[in-house]
Amino acid sequence: MISQEFDFHAPTTLSEALELLAANAEDGKALAGGMSLVPAMNLGIARPTAVISLNRLAELDYVREDGDVVRIGAMTRHARIVRDDVVTGTFPLLAQAAAVIGDVQVRNRGTIGGSIAHADPAADYLPVVLALGASFRVVSSSGERTIPARDFFRGVMATALDPGELLVEIELPRPPAGAGTAYLRLARLEGSFPLANAAAVVDGGPATVAVGGTTGAPFVLEIEDPEALDEVERTARDAAADAFPDLAATAEYRRSMAGVYARRAVESALRERKGG
Amino acid sequence: MRTTIEVTVNGSLERLEIDTRQNLVGLLREQLGLTGTHVGCSTGNCGACTVVLDGVTVKSCSVLAADVDGRGVTTIEAMSSGADDLHPIQQAFVANQGLQCGFCTPGMVLSVSTLLEENPDPSADEVRHAIAGNLCRCTGYQLIVKSVLEAARRAREGAPAAA
Repeated sequence: MISQEFDFHAPTTLSEALELLAANAEDGKALAGGMSLVPAMNLGIARPTAVISLNRLAELDYVREDGDVVRIGAMTRHARIVRDDVVTGTFPLLAQAAAVIGDVQVRNRGTIGGSIAHADPAADYLPVVLALGASFRVVSSSGERTIPARDFFRGVMATALDPGELLVEIELPRPPAGAGTAYLRLARLEGSFPLANAAAVVDGGPATVAVGGTTGAPFVLEIEDPEALDEVERTARDAAADAFPDLAATAEYRRSMAGVYARRAVESALRERKGG
Repeated sequence: MRTTIEVTVNGSLERLEIDTRQNLVGLLREQLGLTGTHVGCSTGNCGACTVVLDGVTVKSCSVLAADVDGRGVTTIEAMSSGADDLHPIQQAFVANQGLQCGFCTPGMVLSVSTLLEENPDPSADEVRHAIAGNLCRCTGYQLIVKSVLEAARRAREGAPAAA
């Protein structure tokens, strides 16, 4: 039993959910899969006065092709992303990232929107959506806007979402035909958050590489010459200058691994592009 | 805040008045007396509270009871009516010493049962990935994996595990 009292709402339509979020903008919390929020409430770390469960919003559970983009509903659970044919065919690195989140039980319940909006610095999806150039569709009772992933993550569990706003859709542009992509992570145990993770997209010209797990917000870099791997590593290590320490790793180790994993992700994406 | 939910637990429809602060594991243990589902960490790590929600395993400490309104939950109690009626997976755990203290076993068995439904012939590696969310602190993973492989083999051969 959670010790803090709260009001519980389970809206069945998005508009109802947005009204509830607006009415509880101060201390209300949207509940997606609950894989971070419910444990935090069990521990008394998160103490929302109202919980608005999104678990009855079937309308937010989808993967949809739409011309040059693929749209993923925020309430799509990790287990579906692991197996979805459109995801595995278009963004194998997104399916690979989903496949290593937590464990079977967590992937059955946790959602892509919940993970992105929670913005744990080491969440598996974050470098992937950054490297793929995703945008997030965000709605509130008063309107709607689209936030590019690279403007969304502001720090440890801090995002560009305003009170009353809900992330409802992840929009992913298809990578150019023949592009090489990769997602890599460094974790001590299966099921742990990574100490560093990196995703890369390489398409003949400059490469995009994004690194998470080392700094409060993940970062994304454009790499002029992806073949210059020493330079890739140095650039990513420098970008992780304010890496954080914790019980699992020192700041220096995280900085170093930001470089190493950026390098390996680019190397792996280059290899894939060349069909190796 | 109190609310009323309807939930099917082990095949029986229950109409329950609950405190919305209750999580699913508390509902099962405290309100329905189904104490086979265990509480380990309450933070979604250990998997002792694993149950099956609408066909897939979840950690019931991390699901609010109010969120299972209208849904179906299966717990370890549905696997067996008692020591003389163990499920073949449970028999394989007994036969292979796949448990020591037994605290993790109910969750382990439910994870294994959903694994074998999807994949009747898993490799040892696949078994390990499937139970990655179920921690055993008696460090009995070798024998657990052996138990699962035997349960799978016997299910494929259509024979019950030796007790």
